[in-house]
Amino acid sequence: MAQAATSTRTIKVEIKRQSTPDGKATTEAFEIPYRPNMNITSLLGEIALNPTTVTGAATTPITYDSNCLEEICGSCAMLINGKAMMACSALVDKLEQPIRLAPLSKFPVVRDLAVDRSVLFENLKAVKAWVPIDGTYDLGPAPRQFPQIQEQRYPLSNCISCTICMEVCPQFNDVTGFVGAATIAQARLFNMDPAGSVLKEDRLRALAGDGGIQECGFAQNCVQACPKGLPLTEAISDMGRDVFVQQVKDLFTR
Amino acid sequence: MATAAAPATPTLRGVQPLRAGEGHSFFWRRLHSLSGIVPIGAFLIEHIVSNFEAVNGPLAYAQQVKFLNSLPLVRVLEWCFIFIPLAFHALYGVWIAFRGRATVNVYPWAGNWGYLTQRITGIIALLYIVQHLWRQRFSGVNLPEHPGAAFAKVQHELHNPWMLAIYVIAMIATCWHFAYGIWLFAAKWGITPGDKARQRFGYVCAAGGTALCVLGLVGMYAFINPKYANAPEDVMPTQPPAIVQPVQP
Repeated sequence: MAQAATSTRTIKVEIKRQSTPDGKATTEAFEIPYRPNMNITSLLGEIALNPTTVTGAATTPITYDSNCLEEICGSCAMLINGKAMMACSALVDKLEQPIRLAPLSKFPVVRDLAVDRSVLFENLKAVKAWVPIDGTYDLGPAPRQFPQIQEQRYPLSNCISCTICMEVCPQFNDVTGFVGAATIAQARLFNMDPAGSVLKEDRLRALAGDGGIQECGFAQNCVQACPKGLPLTEAISDMGRDVFVQQVKDLFTR
Repeated sequence: MATAAAPATPTLRGVQPLRAGEGHSFFWRRLHSLSGIVPIGAFLIEHIVSNFEAVNGPLAYAQQVKFLNSLPLVRVLEWCFIFIPLAFHALYGVWIAFRGRATVNVYPWAGNWGYLTQRITGIIALLYIVQHLWRQRFSGVNLPEHPGAAFAKVQHELHNPWMLAIYVIAMIATCWHFAYGIWLFAAKWGITPGDKARQRFGYVCAAGGTALCVLGLVGMYAFINPKYANAPEDVMPTQPPAIVQPVQP
């Protein structure tokens, strides 16, 4: 074939796999023909086309969560060469080989690279990260939102719930049960919403519970690792003050 | 028919969700943060500034020790504003440290190193303070009763080069822990939320911590300064009764 010269170049991948939540983890190595400008998503797609390990043994395609493939849905977070990253925005040409893929280490594995990140959704529910507009009649137009507030809220609204901020956090573990930066940032987002702020006190009280904002050790890994560049440390700092003020108020008025 | 009841929370494996509004860890964690500045940090400054008086020689140092021990209710002050808060801060701090999972091997970022260093310097300071309290406060010559013996007691301690090394390391570790602790306090309590505010305050804390450390090390040098070598065992010896209470004619 005409491509014979170029096809000798390959991409080496080692993937930590696990067929069931309680199954034993094994590592499978793959070697696939090089193409320029690949990301981890296309790499995993390439393996799915021909799921054969480097030893020639037939295997199954790699299971992993994905949806949008463009760093918007937050599904495909995984450990790439040991670091938590989005598979869709991690470029093969910029990674050291062999590329090592593993599931996020702080969430229960479902299968292969797919993990159960329900804890984030439970946390978002615990802080009521929504605007309460459901009802039996039309509530009318929303209150006016000043552009200055909107400008502060927009970066926080970019959260894609990928849980990378929680994965990289030294305080997020099964001993502390820390809530994580994403939830604190979302509580801030909805506290600044003119309609959502009606639940402000509930959110602040929730965040003072065990595993709340006080568990933050300010290692600032969250803000370094966040693929969407959310101002997470700023949100934690602001919410730390608001939670404290709310606790003092409650001490004297409740 | 669907009911209005919220769907049951599934039992999750792994890290558990927020216990919204439950427990008192917020109070204890914030008290821990505050206690590191007041009273412990305030005492650290007082201690280093007082020790700096040693550069003026054994007698000046003895007078400083005598002054501090003549404060009203000094034993109550000592227990309420030093020993008890220090014990709380130390024990709660060790508990905090062992609940974290440091990740500097994977994520070698400055803030992450700061997180780990804060825990290591805290443990160094704790180990040092335990031996320092035992050897200087609770054993040997009782300094509150014999302030004149203070200079010689410290001088004998620092005569051992190993002890001197321990004192220098502990001084640096403690000042680091204090300076970075103030920075963390401002960040966590929402005093410096913005990146720029935190950066500027970082310079302030670094300058303050360095100044305090230098002050401490210079004060420490006075005890090994050849000028004051072989200081008298007690520069304020017990006076004969005729001097303390003049004989009435």
